[in-house]
Amino acid sequence: MKSAADLQTVVEMTRSIPCAPAILPKLLKLAEGGSSDLGEMEMLINLDTGLATDVLRTANSAYFSSTQRCENISDAILRLGSKVLYRIAASTLTGRWLVHPVRGYGWEPGDLCRHSLCVAICAEIFATKMQLVEASTAYTAGLIHDLGKFALAYANFTALDDIANRVPDEFPTWREAEKVILGFESTLVTKSLLENWGFPQVFVSVGYYYQTPSDCPEAHRKIATLIHAAKHVATQLGYGVGVDGFYYEPDEEALKEAGFNEQEMDAAIPEILSTIQRFITPTGEVRFT
Amino acid sequence: MANFSTSAADQMPSIIVGVADMKISTEPSTYLVTHALGSCLAVTFHDEKRRIGGLLHAMLPTSSIHKGQKIREAMFLDTGIPRLLASLIRAGARKQHIRCKVFGGAQLMATDHYFRIGSKNIDMFYRLSQEMELDIVAWEVSGRVNRSIRLNNRTGDVIVKIPSKPEFIR
Repeated sequence: MKSAADLQTVVEMTRSIPCAPAILPKLLKLAEGGSSDLGEMEMLINLDTGLATDVLRTANSAYFSSTQRCENISDAILRLGSKVLYRIAASTLTGRWLVHPVRGYGWEPGDLCRHSLCVAICAEIFATKMQLVEASTAYTAGLIHDLGKFALAYANFTALDDIANRVPDEFPTWREAEKVILGFESTLVTKSLLENWGFPQVFVSVGYYYQTPSDCPEAHRKIATLIHAAKHVATQLGYGVGVDGFYYEPDEEALKEAGFNEQEMDAAIPEILSTIQRFITPTGEVRFT
Repeated sequence: MANFSTSAADQMPSIIVGVADMKISTEPSTYLVTHALGSCLAVTFHDEKRRIGGLLHAMLPTSSIHKGQKIREAMFLDTGIPRLLASLIRAGARKQHIRCKVFGGAQLMATDHYFRIGSKNIDMFYRLSQEMELDIVAWEVSGRVNRSIRLNNRTGDVIVKIPSKPEFIR
């Protein structure tokens, strides 16, 4: 366990995290490219046994199944389509990573996974309702928005306990405590990880700016604001929220600029909750596919 | 999800109550459990004499936001609380013996226009509790913490769990 943190050490340590979602950017690119790239997609999926299994299971599930069973990945890709397939891949790969047990933030095993999934679902629903950004991009951004926190917890710095002990008495927000105690914010860790893994710039921007979307360059401000809104709604829902969850400031200026209003967000909650409950059981078990 | 401690006395079976859900139990050796309340409110009812308990995990204050649509009663306080109380009475509890406790309603940092579900839920619960003349014996609401609770149906005690903190009883 380390008493002092530096950003480079955190990023280096997380290179060895099992099942890092490094093939996601390639899959996303292929999913956006349409059916002509299905062969390459098949090759990528076949690299990961667990992912291939999930894809086949979904293709043969009651929802997608026809009279004929899918017995290989190429048939499954044709049946599911590239967008559904990407969603399965994103959920499987990040889900597997995010359930890795870690300390810090007061998380129970799987909490970050549950919370990230809720943010992803909120983001997807808001994206669809408000037509701000493409829904599957919003979903992925929600899944990976807090990877930096996972990396910090995985690196097991005692500084996290120090932060928890000093918020709110010495620092009103978790961000301010991170800046002083760690010397950097977890969003910078997220940014560094996503850059290292070759994620498109839009996800890097979300990871870095989702807590303060007003500071985000205009090109990605809408999606950063969308994840900011989704994050706060998901926090209110409670799934997987740790000790830090309620110590982040809403960015009202960005929310107003993007067209969010409280009444519409509250009205969307029943739909959000119904969707979440398709994936998370009352006991907290996550079913991604 | 919060893991409650598991001493020998805690080996009673648990009935899990999800979000926007409610359950009752007439079996004294039972816990009614709900996880991760966030800004939601959990309302427990308990008739100590008959050992009948109920738990509601409601997300929103009022069903009026969904007027004209089919709703899940347990999602809203204004429909869930009367329904839970009626279920308890139907199961044999007596209104005059039912004690009520309320938990959750965590609030995000101060904002005038967004993310105020926690405070709206607390306001609505207060109003309903007055109208329905509920006998409230414990309030554990507001603040910036994510609570999980379990109701001991034998005693009416509610054990509260908050991330990184020891459990306590209300």
